[in-house]
Formats: sequence, C-alpha cells, structure tokens
Amino acid sequence: MSDEPEHKHPPAPAPEISDDAGSQALSDALKRSYAIVKVVMAGLVVLFLFSGFFTVGQHQKAIILRFGTPVGEGKLYGPGAHWAFPPPIDEVIKIPVAQAQSVESSIGWYATTAAAEAAKQEPPPTESLNPARDGYLLTADENIIHARATLRFRIAEPGLRFALDFINATNAVRHAFNNSLLYAAARYKVDDALTHDQAGFRETALARLERLIAEQGLGIVVEQIENVQLIPPRQLKDAFARVGEAELRRGKEINDARSYENQTISKARAEAEARKNASEAERTRLVEFVAADVERFTNNLPSWRANRMLFMQQRQSETLRIIYTNAQETILAPRGAPGRQNWIEINREPPRPKVLERPERPKDDHH
Amino acid sequence: MKQNRITLAVASVLSLVVLAMLFVFQVRTTEVAVVTTFGRISRTVGPGPHFRLPLIQGVHKFDKRIQVHRSAFEQVYTSDQQVMLVAVYVGWNIDDAVTVLNRFSGDREEAIQKASHNLEGMIRNAYSGVIGRHPFSHFVSTDAKQLQFVEIEQEIQARLQAECRSITNGLNIAFLGIERMGLPESVTKEVFKNMESERERLVTAITSDGERQASIIREKANFESAKILAEADAAATRIQGEADKQAQESYAVFEQAPVLAIFLNKLKTLELLLQSRATLILDDTTSPIDVMKQLKPDEEKK
Repeated sequence: MSDEPEHKHPPAPAPEISDDAGSQALSDALKRSYAIVKVVMAGLVVLFLFSGFFTVGQHQKAIILRFGTPVGEGKLYGPGAHWAFPPPIDEVIKIPVAQAQSVESSIGWYATTAAAEAAKQEPPPTESLNPARDGYLLTADENIIHARATLRFRIAEPGLRFALDFINATNAVRHAFNNSLLYAAARYKVDDALTHDQAGFRETALARLERLIAEQGLGIVVEQIENVQLIPPRQLKDAFARVGEAELRRGKEINDARSYENQTISKARAEAEARKNASEAERTRLVEFVAADVERFTNNLPSWRANRMLFMQQRQSETLRIIYTNAQETILAPRGAPGRQNWIEINREPPRPKVLERPERPKDDHH
Repeated sequence: MKQNRITLAVASVLSLVVLAMLFVFQVRTTEVAVVTTFGRISRTVGPGPHFRLPLIQGVHKFDKRIQVHRSAFEQVYTSDQQVMLVAVYVGWNIDDAVTVLNRFSGDREEAIQKASHNLEGMIRNAYSGVIGRHPFSHFVSTDAKQLQFVEIEQEIQARLQAECRSITNGLNIAFLGIERMGLPESVTKEVFKNMESERERLVTAITSDGERQASIIREKANFESAKILAEADAAATRIQGEADKQAQESYAVFEQAPVLAIFLNKLKTLELLLQSRATLILDDTTSPIDVMKQLKPDEEKK
C-alpha cells in the first residue's frame, strides 16, 4: 500500500506534457506559416507595385486613363519606361503615332484573289459585272473602270481622336478612302482617268480624302496614295489597246511631220543664207572690179592725155602680146586672092580621155 | 502590439478594397453609363469613378465611340428613272444613353447590335428618298456644275439625323458618305457595248486627227520655207541694187575721158576673153602680123 500515496498524484503530467508540445509545434507551424504569408504578401505588394511599370516603344505614345479619365488632360508619354498604377486604377493606352499604317481600297476591283493574280490564273472576264462580286467605279462619262490603291498614313498627334473616338478607326479610314476614289472617278472621263490625267485623278482623290479626314475627325495624316492602278474593264482590253495604238500612230505621224518641218525649214534657211551670201559676194566682186577699173583709169589718164595715139598703140600692143602668148594655137591665114577660099578644120581630133589605160604587166616569173 | 497594428492595417486596406469594389464603379473615357435603382433609371454618368449602392443600384455602360455601318449595295431610282446601285457608310454613335437603354437594351453589345439594325432600315429610307429627287447626272457628270455628289451626301445625312431625332432613338449621325455606286448587272453589259463603239469612234477620230495635224504641219513647213526663200531673194536683190548703185557712183570718174575708159574696158575684155586655150586665126592684116607684110618688100629688095 506504500505505493498508494504515489497513486494519489494524478497521472496526467505525461499527457499534459505531450499537449504542450503539440500546441508548441502548432504554434511554431503557425508562426512559420504566418512568416511565409507575410513574405508572400510583401512579395505580392512589391509585384503589384512593379506591375505598374510599362514601356512605350520607339514609334509610340501612351496615355494613362485613371479611373477611366485621361491623366493630365490627355498627357502623352513618349518612348521609354514609365510607371502607372496597376489596373483597375490606371489603364495604359499605347498609340502607334509615328508608325506608318496602310489600308487598301475595297470597292473598285473585279472579283479575284491575290493568289490567282500572282499565278496569273484569274478567272476569265464575264460578259457583265456582278455587283455582288465585282467592284468598279463609274466615270463622269458614265463608263466603267477598275481602280485600286493603297493609302499610307500616320496617326496625327496627339492621336487621341484616332485611338479614342472610333470603335474601328482603320475601317473608318478605309471607307473615307473608298469614297474619295468614287468621288474622283465621278468627275473624270474614262480616258482622262486611265491615260491623260492619272496624276490629276490622284490629286482629286487626295484632296477629297484630306477634306473627309478633317470633316470626320479621323485624326490621321496622309503620307501618300500609292500603288494606284486604274484599268479599263478586262472585257474591253482589246478595244482600249486599239485606241492606244491609234494614239501611238498619231504621235508618230505628227513626229514625222515635225521632223519634215524641221528639215524643210532648216534647208530653206541654209538655202536663203547661201543666196544672200552669193549676193554679198557678187556685190563685193562688182565693187572691187569697178574700183580696180577706176584705179586703172585714173593711173592711165595722165599718159593718155600726154599722147593719145601713142598710149593707145602701146596698150594695144601689150594686150596683144599677152593674148598671143597665152593662145594655145595661132593659125596664120594670109588673105588669099579674090575668089580663093581658105578652109581651116577646127577640133580636128576629139579630146583624148585623160585616164590612160595602163597595159597590164605580165607577172614576173622567178622560176 | 506591433503585429496587431500591421494586421489591422492590412485588414483595413483589404476592407477598403472590397468596399471600393462594391460601392464604386468606373466609367472609361470612351463610355457613358446609366445608373438604375431597383430597375428604374436614376442618372447618367460620364468618365471617372462613381458611387453606387450594391445590390440596389445597377450600372449599364455603353460605348459612345463612333462606329461605321455600311449599308447593303441596293438598287435605287434616280429622278430621271435610271436605276443605280448605291451603298453608303454611316458613322454613328450613342448620343443619349438613357434612350438607348429604354429603346434597345441595357447590355452594351446587344444595344449596339439592335441600334445598328434599327439604323439599317432608316439609312435605306433616307438615301432612296434623297436619290429619288436627283437625276443621274448629279452623281457622275462631265459637267462639274451638274455634280452634286457632296450635296447629296449632306442631304442624306441631314435626313437620317432628322429621322433619328423624330423617333428619338438616342443615336447621333457623325458623318455619312457614299461608298459605292454601280449599275445593275444587265446594264453593265450595255455600258460595255457603248464603250466598245466609243473606242471604235475614237480610233477613227484619232487616226484622222493625226493625218490632219501632220498635213497642217507639212503645209506650214512648205509655206515657211517658201517665205524664207522669198525673203532671201528679196534681200539678194536689195544687195544687188546697192552694188549697182555703188558701181554707178564710181563710174562717174570715167566721165573725165570716156574714150579712154571705153578703150581700157575693151582691152580688159579682150584679155579676159582670150585668156587661155584660145585658137587665134590671124590674117596678115592683123597687127602686129601686118608688120611682117610691111617688111616683106624690103627683104625682097635685099
């Protein structure tokens, strides 16, 4: 029984000790978890704040909407890194202002596909144009042409209109572009649009487009209208080609006539110059000739006055000497008795040809 | 204590966030919103953060940006009874969100869809009514004075806008333009025939024009050339006249001794005449041959 008092003590300490240890372990675990949660929370806060950084590209501008309203009355953030409150507080809208964009017209071309066009396997032209499939433009003289072009544009600064005013601004631009082509065609005759004044057609379309951009507040700047293709309906390709050929022929004919004109007039000018020059030369010759005569007369006058007979005899003799000296042939025909006739044969021999035929020399034989 | 404070701060922040999410809503700058209380419209609000009572108040946001609607490509009659096909594009946006909510829907997508559908019929009425009052030449014409392309667009837009107001659908027409103009398929065939005969006429006209122009150029060239030569001849005659006049002035000197002048002239002419390759036939009376005759008796005497 001596063990009894020992049995009076409650035997609980052992389980109590194990309870404390459990609580301790739980408490430790909770502390650790709490620490982890704290770290995770802090991490999340940091991540949340860092998620506010954003980069604006080289060709972009950005605006920040805070609770839906533009910050700083639509202040633009240029290229580089910026910070905004993460959503849902702020929303960053990037606008590609400096980047060239393009739209293609969509109303004036016949039904085809890019692949078929590239492979040159387009469907052959039908007798008529189906409005559901084929696009075309009506010209001022109620003819039909096909047209297509590409519009290159940039978003005009600050770019808010293009970015914020339209649900699909590019589509709105395309409609305006189509309208400007339609507008230009309606005031151009088929031949002017296709051949004589394509530049004018393009200018008219561009002017109309600029006006629409301003009126409709599209907020873009046109860089250029490019790849403009204006063609007659494929159904009339040959007929239009014949007109082109006729125009070429006309051009050639007019050119020929112009060169004839140039030649004829140049020839006439040269001939006129020659005639005038000849006349001038004749005048000079005559004047010189007369001057020489006058000089000779003046020089001889004193001698003649001194002794007229002698002077005349001397001069006559001098002249005859010269004549006789120069004469090729002199025939002396003494005056015969009355009733007797002298016959002189002139040109007794026909003139000999100057080129003498050389007798062919026999080849030397060096054997 | 420190831990409690942090816990309190975190809890307050989280509570604030939750409360904000419950009581505050934001409207984007491109939107307009209608707030309803127990389904009844209370107010319209613009961009920015706004207060609402959760569960009690509802918010209907609408996109107020311009969107473009393109009509179908349909036949219409002009005032001169020509049939043409026309399609127009209309830029429209929500002007009165309350009307849109009442008339169409509280859901933004559905509202836009229904409004667009509603516009379709109105657009067709507007353009067919306006086009019916204009002849075909107001759309395409070689005479710029006839063209009323822009005026027609403005008329259609005004009519459509007026109709939107009259039925109060809460929509605004921002702009309107003609997108396509065409002719019925059977008419295009006729146009091709006309174009073909026009091409043939042009070929003939161009050919004869070329011939005409070339002939004009050639004739002008001939005329010019003849004129140049005639002028040159006239100039030559003038020069000749001047030369004669100059010579005449010099001849005055000869009047001092006309006999000598004539004698010298004769000598010169004779000299020139018998300059070379002449054959002289002289009889014995010609000087100086006559000297020979005169000498003969003397020689005989010797």
